[in-house]
Amino acid sequence: MKKLVVIALVLAVLAGGVFAAPKPVIGALIRNLDEQFVADYAANLKVLAAKAGVDLKLLDSRSDQATQLDQLNTLITQGVKFFVIVPNQTEATEQMAKAIQAVGGGAAFSNIQPSVAALKVGPNFFLASSPESVAGSIQADIIDNYFKKNPGKLAAGKTINALFLLGQLGHPAQKYRTEAVKAGLVAKGYKLNVIAEDTANWKPDEAQQKMDAWIAAYNGKFNIVITNNDGMALGAVESLLTAKYTKSDAADGTILKVPVLGVDATQVALKSMSEDKLYATVLQDSVGQSSTAFELALAMATGKYKPGFKAWGLSPETKPGSEAPANDAAVIGQCYLVPFKAVTKDNYKSFMTK
Amino acid sequence: MAANNAAGTLEARKGFRAFISKNTNLVTFITLAVGLGLLTSGRSFEWPSVRNLMIAESVRAFAALGVGMIIITRGIDLSIGYVVCLVASVAASFAQTPDYTAALYPGIDFPLWLPLMAGVVTGGIFGLFNGVLIAYGKLPAFIATLGTMSIARGAQLIYTRAAVVGSLKDSYKVISQGSLGPIPNLAIYVAIACVFIWILLRHTKRGTNFYAIGGNSMAARVSGINVERETVVVYTYAGLLYGIAGCLLAGRLGLANALTANGMELDAIAAVTVGGISQTGGVGTMSGMIIGVLTLGIINYGMTYLGVDSYYQLLVKGFIIIVAVWFDMKKYARRA
Repeated sequence: MKKLVVIALVLAVLAGGVFAAPKPVIGALIRNLDEQFVADYAANLKVLAAKAGVDLKLLDSRSDQATQLDQLNTLITQGVKFFVIVPNQTEATEQMAKAIQAVGGGAAFSNIQPSVAALKVGPNFFLASSPESVAGSIQADIIDNYFKKNPGKLAAGKTINALFLLGQLGHPAQKYRTEAVKAGLVAKGYKLNVIAEDTANWKPDEAQQKMDAWIAAYNGKFNIVITNNDGMALGAVESLLTAKYTKSDAADGTILKVPVLGVDATQVALKSMSEDKLYATVLQDSVGQSSTAFELALAMATGKYKPGFKAWGLSPETKPGSEAPANDAAVIGQCYLVPFKAVTKDNYKSFMTK
Repeated sequence: MAANNAAGTLEARKGFRAFISKNTNLVTFITLAVGLGLLTSGRSFEWPSVRNLMIAESVRAFAALGVGMIIITRGIDLSIGYVVCLVASVAASFAQTPDYTAALYPGIDFPLWLPLMAGVVTGGIFGLFNGVLIAYGKLPAFIATLGTMSIARGAQLIYTRAAVVGSLKDSYKVISQGSLGPIPNLAIYVAIACVFIWILLRHTKRGTNFYAIGGNSMAARVSGINVERETVVVYTYAGLLYGIAGCLLAGRLGLANALTANGMELDAIAAVTVGGISQTGGVGTMSGMIIGVLTLGIINYGMTYLGVDSYYQLLVKGFIIIVAVWFDMKKYARRA
């Protein structure tokens, strides 16, 4: 009997705030609030919803695609039709789009790109994200600038000896960021020599372990560390610091013997830059992505969406690019590309929250 | 007359109490369901909600049936999540569309039975391995399955190169995503599995052996039960069930990756514990396992429906599990 009482009490506590006044309703299916970028994205959604008087139903799937599908089904049963989605995997987006299409709704996908097939489910499905290859190209620009300023750091024959820490293999961000930075460096006339590359699954601790082993194996043989995200970059930085792979000055912008580059511009990465540890990063704009996605969902929910709609000041793309899903002419009008930004010594302070 | 009446009411009351005490898990489930029904003004009783719940819990139900039997023999299995993850990846790799260039076996269109077979066999092998380690290697189940958990995880990463195994054929996905009329296929599979497990536990010698081993393995041995063999069998059966779970999960998601099914062991163990499968062994029923799964499912579903913050969801779930086990232990402590 006591068990019943306890459970009844728990339920009673949960009962607060169930019934809301009729406001536009938007469902937000968020991959994993433990990730800094995603947490920033969700926080901005809440701010936007409060400002716009929207009933935002935000659910965190804790990195589990099955949970995300369950959450989508639950919201659909509750009558929610319009969604902002940070999916777990590209491959799952078509299935989610079909379920939403079945109730006449729509969705904007951010961060993990939806598949072309997902956007083809209907004209009410959007990409509101940043083309991953641009992050790689920007990394290549930053590296180019670094070696122009510090030509002595290059190996003979304009050679870059790089270590690559990659995100989860097959993840669009891993694939396109890596391809673009490599292609960018080659296009700028460098000879790119990959000393070692391996996945650290976006994680600082895995990156640190890989880096520990690499420092032992390739001491002095590499002149840059390129990573797919800040988490892994900071893991590499920790490893280099622990191994005393440092120099006495930070004239080239870092106290480490080799520059380390990340992507995301998380607050902790910026702090590391302020301490002359991490060399540079690339901002994946959580505010830009969430604002674009939110404005699209809101426009659909209030019946204001028309093809060519401007979201967060951005117009949809008109010409197919190289990266899915914005490489398919049939869905190009559903693709909103939020720009990445280079974050270097010159501008990092402007991205710090305090 | 009056005295007779009073005695009658007293009897009825006693009977009611006994019923509740005997069926705490069922009563808990019904209370929760009614509570959620009130909170959602009846919408949680509507068919789409019920259907959602069935779909959401079906894969976990297979895992729970497996580990439920293991716990009846006083064992435990921590390898579930990663074994299901490995199985899902193996099954998915044989069910990818042949024109998908990033497929593990690009250009090959495997017959539909192969992914199912490969998945279930993979699960069975892991179960068998667990069973042998525990029964003949005399390793504590906790440690043995902790080891196989890591082996399964490593095998999954090696096999898939840590990549997403996606782009599955529609003919494979429909196995999980299809419906028979209004009833989702997944729920039908669970129902079939339940019948099998019910017969196994209630109407076969083997089932009786499982309870005997869990109740007192020394006594079971003395009474002529081959404890080692039965232990291997129960872990293998569980492995086969995880195999089915993994195959169905891959079909449901249309993909598998290293994050698929992570943490499922905790959900499954928690569910059967809430369902009255005692950690002290020898106690529990098939219906208890399913009620446990549905109870946790309704808690999950309810909290999602009501929009409870995901961090609080974890807290609430944790407390409910602790409370359920607490009462379970008290019940059997009194008996002992």
